[in-house]
Amino acid sequence: MEEEAEAEEQQRFSYQQRLKAAVHYTVGCLCEEVALDKEMQFSRQTIAAISELTFRQCENFAKDLEMFARHARRTTINTEDVKLLARRSNSLLKYITDKSEEIAQINLERKSRKKKKSEDGNHNSRELAEAGVVESEK
Amino acid sequence: MTTRRHSHGDRTISRSAYVQASGHLEEQTPRTLLKNILLTAPESSILMPKSVVKPVPAPQVVQPSGRESSLGSLELQLPELEPPTTLAPGLLATGSRKQRLRLSMFQQGVDQGMPLSQEPQRNVDASSLTSSLNLTFATPLQPQSVQRPGLARRPPARRAVDVGAFLQDLRDTSLAPANIVLEDTQPFSQPTVGYSPRVYRSLPCMPHTGAEDAELAASCKARSSGPGMQTSPQKPAQFLVGEAEEVDAFALDFLSTSSGISREDGVEPLQDGVEEAEKRMEEEGVSVSQMEVTGAQGPSRAEEPKGHREVTETEESQGTAEAKGPGASSGVEDASDRAASPELVSSTPESLQARRHHQFLEPDPPPGAAVLSSEPAEPLLVRRSPKPRTTGPRPQQALHKAGLSHYVKLFSFYAKMPMERKALEMVEKCLDKYFQHLCDDLEVFAAHAGRKTVKPEDVELLMRR
Repeated sequence: MEEEAEAEEQQRFSYQQRLKAAVHYTVGCLCEEVALDKEMQFSRQTIAAISELTFRQCENFAKDLEMFARHARRTTINTEDVKLLARRSNSLLKYITDKSEEIAQINLERKSRKKKKSEDGNHNSRELAEAGVVESEK
Repeated sequence: MTTRRHSHGDRTISRSAYVQASGHLEEQTPRTLLKNILLTAPESSILMPKSVVKPVPAPQVVQPSGRESSLGSLELQLPELEPPTTLAPGLLATGSRKQRLRLSMFQQGVDQGMPLSQEPQRNVDASSLTSSLNLTFATPLQPQSVQRPGLARRPPARRAVDVGAFLQDLRDTSLAPANIVLEDTQPFSQPTVGYSPRVYRSLPCMPHTGAEDAELAASCKARSSGPGMQTSPQKPAQFLVGEAEEVDAFALDFLSTSSGISREDGVEPLQDGVEEAEKRMEEEGVSVSQMEVTGAQGPSRAEEPKGHREVTETEESQGTAEAKGPGASSGVEDASDRAASPELVSSTPESLQARRHHQFLEPDPPPGAAVLSSEPAEPLLVRRSPKPRTTGPRPQQALHKAGLSHYVKLFSFYAKMPMERKALEMVEKCLDKYFQHLCDDLEVFAAHAGRKTVKPEDVELLMRR
């Protein structure tokens, strides 16, 4: 049993390392873009520091999001929770709000399209086909 | 002996302040004592023969060293209470200050009237501190009576009037809480009712006295504050209403916070605070009622002896400050815990914040209580430049500033080194922003849960880190 716990711990740790590596790679790509844009180089330590920072912040964000959802007596993290998380930075909050509105609109359009199609289509086969199309659109 | 008495008198005033604060007094409640004094103000000796002598030597020695009423001086004072006899020479040295002189005159009168006081002096012990408390109540009243018998009545009566008038005005005008969700006001209303009739009776009896500028100003203030309070907006009443729970905690807490402030700092803000006089008045009026309700006996009693000191201080600082300032300050004296009240008022909109501050300030009260009593008078002086002008947004700013100044003073106390004025201003700005940010977060958290009231869960979420 202890061995299992240990193995599980190791598994989790290796999984964490893989995630960190993924973050590090992504941060490296982004830094390269910025370096090209500003014509300024990024040292390796800088990229490593930024990726470590990003990883820890992601952990914090996740915990906060969970607490926000629990605070609102929900079990699912919502866009509202994300907006609450991003309230510090005004520009970021605005960006996220706009994006969320856009997504909501898309979802609404899809729903209305779905409803229209279901009303029009009386035949099962046609409904199925359209449902399949709608699903694929999503 | 008489010289010793002199120093005893003024010493005991400050002494009693923190004696009360530290809660040593148990036999006679300060409240009953204060009541007796107010009721029997014109009469001569309220002094307890026992209490006259004992605590005086100890505080006197400490006073010259620690007028700043730092925490260290407070502690110093406490142990020195034990050996009163040894302090006699020290007492003589300190008789130079104005207050002591007045007290010395009073002491002479007391000595004549009470030859028995010598004996109790020998029996100094821990319990004597409490009796010194009694002394402090009597002494502030007596000196004035000795010097100018005709005016003896006025200062105490004036103080009582200020409080009662404010309370009455508040009661009359403010009954509907505006935009702040507050608790019921019942705990506060009852005690004020008891005081107000007494106050009104004394008010008409007070003639205009040109004896001292401060006193005169105080009387003007009292009268002006009366109508001023009536016209004041409902906000102060709201604060009054809402602060029930926090008042107690805050009264003590803020008193303790102000304990660490040096005298010089107190004088400075006095000049600065003259501008914010009107707002302070409203706040203080509100807070006064709160204070009374909470029965902050210690602070209220501390106010009494402070009255003398503040009067003298105001006179000194009168040069620059308006006449109203000192008058307000002297008027403030009666309003027990006016220092606490502005803070309370400011914290009203941020009740949770207050709660946190309360917890934060908990360790302070015991040591700083005594020192506090001396200090709140000074901040009160600062704030108390009374003007019955009532403007809606301005009182709010004043409230914030009033609350923050106490935190700034606490900050400077803990710094244990002199701080530049600019630095303190920066601290105040930072505190202001911090609190605003804090409360915005709380508001957002409450809204996130679909509520309009900030609850403990919101605070927990805030403190998760």
